[in-house]
Amino acid sequence: MPLVAGVDIGNSTTEVVVARVEGSSSPDFLGSAIVATTGVKGTQENVQGVLQALEECMRSIGLQPRDVEVVTLNDATPVMADVAMETISETIITESTMIGHNPSTPGGAGMGVGKTILLDHLDMASPGESVIVIIPGHHDFDQAARAINEAANRGIDVRGAIVQRDDGVLISNRLQQVIPIVDEVKLIDRVPLGVPAAVEVAQPGRTVSTLSNPYGVATVFGLSPEETRAIVPLTRALIGNRSAVVIKTPAGDVQERRIPAGRLTLVGDRGTAEVDLELGADAVMEALERVGQLADVQGEPGTNVGGMLERVRAVMTELTGLPGDSVRIQDLLAVDTIVQRPVVGGVAGEFSSEEAVALAAMVSSSRLPMEQIADMLRVELDAEVVLGGVEAHMALLGALTTPGIDLPVAILDLGAGSTDAALADPEGGIKVVHLAGAGDMVSMLIDAELALDDRNLAEEAKRHPAGRMENLFLFRGEEGDVRFFEEPVDPQLFARTVVARPEGMIPLPGDVPVERVRAVRRRAKEKVFVRNALRALARVAPGGNVRLLDFVALVGGSALDFEVPALISDALAEYGVVVGTANVRGVAGPRNAVATGLVLAYAYQHGG
Amino acid sequence: MQVDQTLVERIVSQVLAELGQRQGAIAQPGGTADDGLVALEEMGEAKPGTRSDEVVVGLSPGFGARFKRNITGIRLSAVLRELLAGIEEEGVSARVVRVRHTSDVAFIGHTAAKLSGSGIGIGILSRGTTVIHQKDLAPLTNLELFPQSPILDLETYRAIGRNAAKYAKGEAPAPVPVKNDQMARPKYQAVAAVLHIKETKLVEPGAPPVECQVRFAS
Repeated sequence: MPLVAGVDIGNSTTEVVVARVEGSSSPDFLGSAIVATTGVKGTQENVQGVLQALEECMRSIGLQPRDVEVVTLNDATPVMADVAMETISETIITESTMIGHNPSTPGGAGMGVGKTILLDHLDMASPGESVIVIIPGHHDFDQAARAINEAANRGIDVRGAIVQRDDGVLISNRLQQVIPIVDEVKLIDRVPLGVPAAVEVAQPGRTVSTLSNPYGVATVFGLSPEETRAIVPLTRALIGNRSAVVIKTPAGDVQERRIPAGRLTLVGDRGTAEVDLELGADAVMEALERVGQLADVQGEPGTNVGGMLERVRAVMTELTGLPGDSVRIQDLLAVDTIVQRPVVGGVAGEFSSEEAVALAAMVSSSRLPMEQIADMLRVELDAEVVLGGVEAHMALLGALTTPGIDLPVAILDLGAGSTDAALADPEGGIKVVHLAGAGDMVSMLIDAELALDDRNLAEEAKRHPAGRMENLFLFRGEEGDVRFFEEPVDPQLFARTVVARPEGMIPLPGDVPVERVRAVRRRAKEKVFVRNALRALARVAPGGNVRLLDFVALVGGSALDFEVPALISDALAEYGVVVGTANVRGVAGPRNAVATGLVLAYAYQHGG
Repeated sequence: MQVDQTLVERIVSQVLAELGQRQGAIAQPGGTADDGLVALEEMGEAKPGTRSDEVVVGLSPGFGARFKRNITGIRLSAVLRELLAGIEEEGVSARVVRVRHTSDVAFIGHTAAKLSGSGIGIGILSRGTTVIHQKDLAPLTNLELFPQSPILDLETYRAIGRNAAKYAKGEAPAPVPVKNDQMARPKYQAVAAVLHIKETKLVEPGAPPVECQVRFAS
């Protein structure tokens, strides 16, 4: 009656199950455990985690780790994945033609047109002249307001103001008439003087309407049709702002430039394709389909994408110990994303949303380290250690212990680094595919789009719903749910958008709306998991047709996510495919599928 | 070097002597609350506010009365003006009260917060130490604390007013960036202690906070 342990070393967790295997009857599962993987998957540091998981598991059933007679280990290193990101567009303002930022509190409201003039030079303006006053930071708000009022009394037509400090409302409150005032213009000395300018401030809750409309600007400055066409990028850049300034200069312009990000060369079994990264993720993925099974990917040397793939290769080389030139990229997932970048040439610290492409790449690696891990376990446990079969096969075996499941079934293993699929037909044939891009890529997208600059925080934002602490006692979740607290919460959560982690809320930096966090999170999951689920299933489905599948079972850590199964289910419903989250052995949920499969495989081979 | 009681006393007496000279040099003519820039008139007992768009600024017992300048010599009238400007810029109204029963910045801020219709208050000491408080918090916690008075400048006070107003509006401002000066502590610690003792002498135990009318000469 040997005691057999199945051990699955994953990218982020190490899972163990222990069973008694007797003759030809099915194994009697006694207990399981899960710990965080120690070190990088497939390296000798994993042994620590395995021992810890075994000890935890054996202790829970009242035995010692050394009582284990056989350990079956997954062939843990078929794939390794890494992610990277590159911006591919940028906005450039020349000659400070535009100020399009959103100071939280501009002053006044309305629209004004006039020549720009420094506050100190107001006394040189002649009565009847329309001016836009430029107020550098050394002026006190009280003095500035008084100077403007005096000028207005002398008959000078002050139509608007551009202020360096955050003084818009303060000045506005002290003026005799209401004029639009744009404040917090950091580099105010770059604003050209003596040229026509238009200032617009919208009512609270609204956005500028004249300066974001090309014909509006044409009316204001009396532009010709050619000139009007030329200012379209400028007006587009101002859409959505509450306040804006447009300055007419001879050569001023706003450009949206594509950054030459470089070309990717995809080498596959059906040919080679070159694709320019600046065409976006869809173009890359299309080319990927064309070349068939990927053999390798090369980036154009000396370009952004070249550097990016070099970094991926360097990381892989370090992890696997393989020489750099033998690291071949076997799959690629490109995803379009939006990142906030400072505008080049902006005078108010403007940011604009720029396009970026995120890439996940996957390489095959050597199986040598697993042998070493097996050797070390043999010594530590004084037990027989065998290397089990392919991970996806084992996951399939484990998933089949789910109550109510039957062949033919496809499984989707949603991990941290890769998305795997396997299809078993009733004749016993098994098809397996590994694809780049999973949980880690989702975290990277959330990190970039919310500008968190903190991967751990992004990880939490991925795993849990968001919400807002309305005050110290009241939490409102993203679905409108409300929770009250008896004791005031930590002051740093006050009035903040938070990640509602059950063991304690975490504040998100800045004033990002809850709705945005939710939208970014769900979109990232759709872009990675839904897309990869479809891609993976199409590769294993008969004739590449997802419609021919009936049942799909989800396993792996990301299948525990609170919304990924629903998102995948929604997407696959269109293909008439039923999706469910596996419940391994009827108790373990989507976890432990590989470990369970390993024990079952051992039992079949030796119970035979 | 042995640090004993006599040494500490000697240093404190030296600091006191120096401080006396310096205060003499910057002493203002008059010496009433009205120093030409600001008038601080006490109007009777402060009542809790009902407007949810207000921030209450709680002044310490000696602010603007016994003391005209903070620890680094910045006029307290200018400090108060910047705090109020920061609040006004956000479109929030401000009320000023004088807290008389304590010279502890946390309790002054908490008293102001409890009087505030929005639940947000600012507490400020004559030497410049400032706190942003919320009424439901324990007195010794806070939303933002600015303990190093010597490194606070007028720009920081404006930002403190602005952040308090943002909290009152239910927004989540980024905390006011504060410079850190390792030398501020050794350089000002004794002065701060002396100023604290002086301010504490002005405390009237049990006296309720009073409403203050603030006027800037303009």
